[in-house]
Amino acid sequence: MTAKTRIMAVAMIATGLLSLASPSLAHKLHEKGAAVAVANAPLWVTPSRDWNQLSGRIGKYAETWTLDGGQLNDVTFYGGIPAGESLVRERSKKHDPLPKFTAETLLIEVPELVERTYRAFKGIGTFSLISTDPAPFLGKDGVRFTYEYTDDDELTRKGEARAAIIGGKLYMMTFDAPRLNYFGKTIADYRALADSATLR
Amino acid sequence: MRRIVARVAAGLACLLAQAAAAAPALPPPYAGAYQPQGVDEIGLWREMDEDEQRLASSSLVIRDEKLTRYLTKILCDTVGADRCNSARIYVVREPTVNASMAPNGTMRIFSGILLRFQNEAQLGAVLGHEFGHFEGRHSLVHFKSRRQGTDLLAWAAVLASLAPSYDVRRSYQDLKLSVYGNLYRFGRDQEREADALGISYLNRSQFPPQAGSQFWQNIMAEFEASARARGLKKPNFERIAFTASHPPHGERAATLAKLALPDAAARDAGADRYRAALAPWLPLFLEDQIKLNDFGASDYLIQSLAQSDWTAPLWFARGELYRSRGAQRDLVNAAEFYAQAIAADGSMADAYRGLGLSLVKTGRRSEGAQALRTYLEKKPGASDASMILMMLPKEGTGN
Repeated sequence: MTAKTRIMAVAMIATGLLSLASPSLAHKLHEKGAAVAVANAPLWVTPSRDWNQLSGRIGKYAETWTLDGGQLNDVTFYGGIPAGESLVRERSKKHDPLPKFTAETLLIEVPELVERTYRAFKGIGTFSLISTDPAPFLGKDGVRFTYEYTDDDELTRKGEARAAIIGGKLYMMTFDAPRLNYFGKTIADYRALADSATLR
Repeated sequence: MRRIVARVAAGLACLLAQAAAAAPALPPPYAGAYQPQGVDEIGLWREMDEDEQRLASSSLVIRDEKLTRYLTKILCDTVGADRCNSARIYVVREPTVNASMAPNGTMRIFSGILLRFQNEAQLGAVLGHEFGHFEGRHSLVHFKSRRQGTDLLAWAAVLASLAPSYDVRRSYQDLKLSVYGNLYRFGRDQEREADALGISYLNRSQFPPQAGSQFWQNIMAEFEASARARGLKKPNFERIAFTASHPPHGERAATLAKLALPDAAARDAGADRYRAALAPWLPLFLEDQIKLNDFGASDYLIQSLAQSDWTAPLWFARGELYRSRGAQRDLVNAAEFYAQAIAADGSMADAYRGLGLSLVKTGRRSEGAQALRTYLEKKPGASDASMILMMLPKEGTGN
């Protein structure tokens, strides 16, 4: 065995090991027009164009979709967060707890809950709620709010979200994208997706 | 063979030590328009220059000329007018307790640390410490020591591979641990040196040098309050972790207290001047802090800021903090704090909002609705006006 063939053999074994691990990390394609349940909840959406589901989950009740990549447009579904739970997974329940959704949380306080979660999770100071308006979501009274923040990649992102509290659980869809180009380019796709959402 | 390895390693260590000792004396980095000397310093400064260019256009920098001028003045009052011109101060909006100074004179002060100073003297203590790093060229020296340490390890790995026995392998692992341990300790010693330099500036300045120790006492009290509220055990302020970048808070507070000139304790610390300078930014920095979900630390901070006077922004912040934790008793307290804020400053619309929401959630719906109405009257263009309007009972329906 020459040095070259030995290197190639090692490389092949390494590739084999990597490919064994990869299927569990696969992302998923959701095709246009096919209704699908999201976030392990009876929350159904019918995409009006193809979307990618990212395999990583930021929380037990969350699922993330994207068009160009999570940093560029991120739609996160929160499917029925029960009272006493945080929106996303806590880094440390003891040392770094996140704010919780509670049975007493009012609809008008949901934007504040999102703000405090973003600030505490990312450790940032620049987050501002821009508007909060009543808007139906999943056929119930809901809230639609918009926000803007800059985290440590120093790219200012805009966000829009819709939420409703149904049966004591919080259902929400957020859309985050860089203010530069991506937010304006893909906000219509997010709104179409949010309009298609139903609770079955 | 093993003996040869040991001898070569010892020889290498000697050579490295000699190289470090033979460096010629350089002018201080604050002297005139100092230019970096030698390939390492030139390289480091270039990197830092690029970094500063990014920082200068960053959206996280607070561009308030008045505040920056004030901070520069305190730096000058602390380290002396002959030195302070070498520093360029940037205030970064980030709610963490941090400040830093790069080798090329870029000084970053995070908004979180500004919230924690009680007076100009404490601010001066931290600025003096950071300036101490700059004056001692600590980044450059640390870089060189890291390079020497890792060089030594790389060569030792080559030599150890020549004699692959169990003992050599174990010796190499020991050497690795000891080199890494030394690098971390070296970093902590630099912090100690900067502390000593910082306090020597304060001793010579118009400020009471005891402020340095006081600042760390406050930080420890805040950490304790944070741990208590989270149900954690009391933090140990004397323990040094293997990888710790700084000496423990307890040691710093004790050393700084010892180094402070005892006769200087009666000097004016400038608490009123500091409060006045920070006043325009206080509500924003407080908001950034209370939304971090650290109840104990935030409540401690608000109370320590209120030691001299409970102002409307402090009452309001405390109301927001308690309302965000949201237990029923918190909401009752929050309503009381908002009421105090309104009593201190009746034009504070957001205090009516907080009051209204707290009252509604504690079952006092009609009073809550009244407060929310006042909120809308005072801030008709509020971003959540339509949502609040929906919460109000229709006139005349009685519900």
